[in-house]
Amino acid sequence: MSIKKFLQDFLNKNPFKGFYQVDRLRPPGAVEEKKFMELCIRCARCIEVCPYDSIKRADLFEKMQIGTPYIFARDRACYLCMKCPSVCPTGALDNNLVDAEKVKMGIAHIDQNRCLNYLYVKEEEGVISTGRAQICSTCYNVCPLQDKAIIMEKYILPVITEKCVGCGICVEKCPTEPKSVYITPSGMGNKDTAGFYYQRSKMSFKKSEEITDDYLKGDKLLQKKQNIQGEDKPKFKNNFKVQEKIEGW
Amino acid sequence: MIKKYRKVIQSIIFVGMFVVPLLNILEIYFIKGTFYSIDIGDIGIADPLAIFQAIISSRHINTTMFISVILPILLILLLGRVWCSWGCPYYFIVEGIDYLKKKLKIKNSKPSYDERLPHKTNFIRYGFLIIGILFMGISGIPLLNLISAPGIISSQALVLVKFHYLTFEIFFILILIILEFFYFRFWCRYFCPQGTFLSLFRWKKGLKVVKVKDDCSNCLSCIRACPMLLNPMREADNSLCHNCGDCIEVCPDNKKVDTLKFRM
Repeated sequence: MSIKKFLQDFLNKNPFKGFYQVDRLRPPGAVEEKKFMELCIRCARCIEVCPYDSIKRADLFEKMQIGTPYIFARDRACYLCMKCPSVCPTGALDNNLVDAEKVKMGIAHIDQNRCLNYLYVKEEEGVISTGRAQICSTCYNVCPLQDKAIIMEKYILPVITEKCVGCGICVEKCPTEPKSVYITPSGMGNKDTAGFYYQRSKMSFKKSEEITDDYLKGDKLLQKKQNIQGEDKPKFKNNFKVQEKIEGW
Repeated sequence: MIKKYRKVIQSIIFVGMFVVPLLNILEIYFIKGTFYSIDIGDIGIADPLAIFQAIISSRHINTTMFISVILPILLILLLGRVWCSWGCPYYFIVEGIDYLKKKLKIKNSKPSYDERLPHKTNFIRYGFLIIGILFMGISGIPLLNLISAPGIISSQALVLVKFHYLTFEIFFILILIILEFFYFRFWCRYFCPQGTFLSLFRWKKGLKVVKVKDDCSNCLSCIRACPMLLNPMREADNSLCHNCGDCIEVCPDNKKVDTLKFRM
């Protein structure tokens, strides 16, 4: 059985396509990674026209992707000037893409355990005490799609929305070391084998499920009930089926 | 005379390889690209093999792909495989190596003429191209672009001018150059998949070397000069010929009366 699985893995996964890494993006307008590897002829035109030197030619470290264009967001992010999509001779970058807001290079994800603003709020609430709390907000200030791709919750906590195009400017400018914001490139690999963002979101999803399984009793239950605000629907575990519609009564 | 023109054009293309990225840094985007594919103004030109690979591996064709191969194929139909001898930066480097060998008095590794050699050469290079395309089909990515000598040289020139470093691909070229000291023009003659693919588009009515006069002094200097080890007097139709014009240049009879000439 294991041999069968090994063979399946070995033969079905093309090692040349879909080699995944966080903070490493294809230029704007790139088609899905598998298709991109088929179409890209490594002509380096996109590298040549990039006025910010963001797009780099992949070296040996990138395995068989050698020669293909990459944006390494930690060194130099994409500034969405939209010069590169139109020069691609094979359509590996979508030639008709002009609108910067329609780019989908990836999506940013903020690590709440490292982000200075999140730490500041925790410090203020008394959850942790380091004595070195700072407010930063750099990612919000540099974002080219301010208030669309990134919003400030409670005026202090940066939250990435789904409109994020994944340009990586926030990653480049993030002052923490290691960086507390990541870009997960879109269209690279499937969800099971994907990197940081998908695995992390999967983990947090499981955790939240486990918490709801606990039964609250006594004072704790009262406390929770008092905390419930009218706007949101409370999440209680009921041992009966909730009727969604009134029809059929 | 022909050799002079050829050297001038080769030098312009070689220097242009470094100038084009420089212009692009200054945000003059008139010419952009490398020898995989290049845009001059709005005219797209691309290596036919690169486009062919992209079409095969993605099973998809679009208009930009189609338009960009029209010009190079027209050029080959009319003028033969001139890209190799008049344009390719690798060929320019190889000729430089020949000159260097002569200066350093290293023994010339050029094999002597053999009637069967062109057939053998053609067999090997077409075989290599077919195997390469087969491997490309299996891997599903344009694999032959990884061993495209002109493409790698020009893209490395771009990387050098723009980022001031070189990527790993330059080692491929360095290895070829070192081997070139021992094996005379082995890459161009036996392997280069791009050149082999271009020779598929050679047309019989295109430009080729013709012996115009029936009799000549039979000095055989054209055979000795031919870099592809052909007999220019008889084998002008061979797809190995890349119209470099070296045979016409050396022919002593040409000075008196036209003997060996380019004809359409």
